[in-house]
Amino acid sequence: MLKLHHLLVIIIATACSSEHSTKTKLNYLRWIGDIEFDSTLDNPDFELCHGESSVNQYFNFEQGLQYEGEKKSIIDEFDNKYQPIQSNESGLIRIRFIVNCKGETDRFRILTMDKYFDEKEFDPRIINQLLRITKGLNGWKILPNTEEARDYYQYLIFKIEAGNIVEILP
Amino acid sequence: MKTILISLLVLLGASNNLLGQPNCKAFLFMGDTLKFEACEKSEEIKGHYQFSRAFQMILDDALTIDPSFDFAYVEKSVAYLKSGDFLTWKRLMDKAVEFNQEGNLGYRGWCRYQFFRDYKGAIEDIERLENLIQYDIGTSANGDYHLQIVRAICYNAIGDRSKAIEIIESQLARENHIVGKYDYLHLGVMYLTIGNFEKARQAFSNQENHNDLAENHYYMALLNRELNNRTEHIAHLEKAKEMYNLGRIMFDPYTHPYHKVYFSDIEKELEKAMMK
Repeated sequence: MLKLHHLLVIIIATACSSEHSTKTKLNYLRWIGDIEFDSTLDNPDFELCHGESSVNQYFNFEQGLQYEGEKKSIIDEFDNKYQPIQSNESGLIRIRFIVNCKGETDRFRILTMDKYFDEKEFDPRIINQLLRITKGLNGWKILPNTEEARDYYQYLIFKIEAGNIVEILP
Repeated sequence: MKTILISLLVLLGASNNLLGQPNCKAFLFMGDTLKFEACEKSEEIKGHYQFSRAFQMILDDALTIDPSFDFAYVEKSVAYLKSGDFLTWKRLMDKAVEFNQEGNLGYRGWCRYQFFRDYKGAIEDIERLENLIQYDIGTSANGDYHLQIVRAICYNAIGDRSKAIEIIESQLARENHIVGKYDYLHLGVMYLTIGNFEKARQAFSNQENHNDLAENHYYMALLNRELNNRTEHIAHLEKAKEMYNLGRIMFDPYTHPYHKVYFSDIEKELEKAMMK
């Protein structure tokens, strides 16, 4: 069931990414990269503390990526949990999502490319693992660290070479 | 005289995105009224957030006036870059490069490295620019690096360390080179990796004098570990921790800098050193 859900995420994410090529000025969202709620994908209990119109970007706080134990903890998580796939698949996979003012995450979306910046479909065994591990990350910091905590967009980009994760960005 | 003046106007405004909004009058002076109008339209982005609908739509209007106005593609691409949308970003930057190679190849190359770790693509862009122009290829968009240092980092990342070192040494030797925030640190780590400890020490020492950082002490600790100098090994790790806590670290608000070290790396190395 879980795999079926992930497959659905991939299909919809691919559809969304190809939508960019035909995007006209009439269908820009509030901000580039905004992720609208989708009842078929997203957790209805996930709450934005300040509403859809006030979600920031992670870099708006000028602290870079903020995670308990720094980005090294994220790298360690993937080093420990990701099982490399025997394949020739290479390119970049982005998973973009929202961290709310309580440090919770949801609205995960996937974008993929090959090493020539062309759209590419990756082996679901790679995508599903990355998505599962990303969803399990629970050290996202509340930003800014005050009573006025905001909701913000975060992303992770995985550089994949022959089925292995060779780098994680940003 | 007119030729010199046009060249100067173009250099100062119309073709160099790193300087911000182009000088629209330069296009008028060159007789390119379409580009002048597109440029004037694009000036309306002032006060709008790069990610916003309004910002994008103004630039779309500018591109309707003149689809070859490269500045609009570059400006549109920034929000996609910062949100990690490599597909749309690349499509927009390819258009910008198509219409103005000199003005945009260096920037595209830098972004390919900084945001997507596309080392080969970055090298390709920077070297294309180098072959295209007779003047200095310039710096990264954030000003942290000369593009030759970026090129060197990319060669290092794909395993060609001797070429990387050669590029940095040659750039540092240039009279007009302004030393970047991390130039000597990168050079030192490269020398350390190939086992040239004396050169590594010299580079770290230069980095210390120029811009002392926690990372520099971490790598100096590794150097001393290789030389079996336990006291210095530990002392530099202690110093690295101290500086890390003071925020004296390699930093970029968007992505992690190459050769960056994390606090847990320092602690782990210190633990190992103490156990010896």
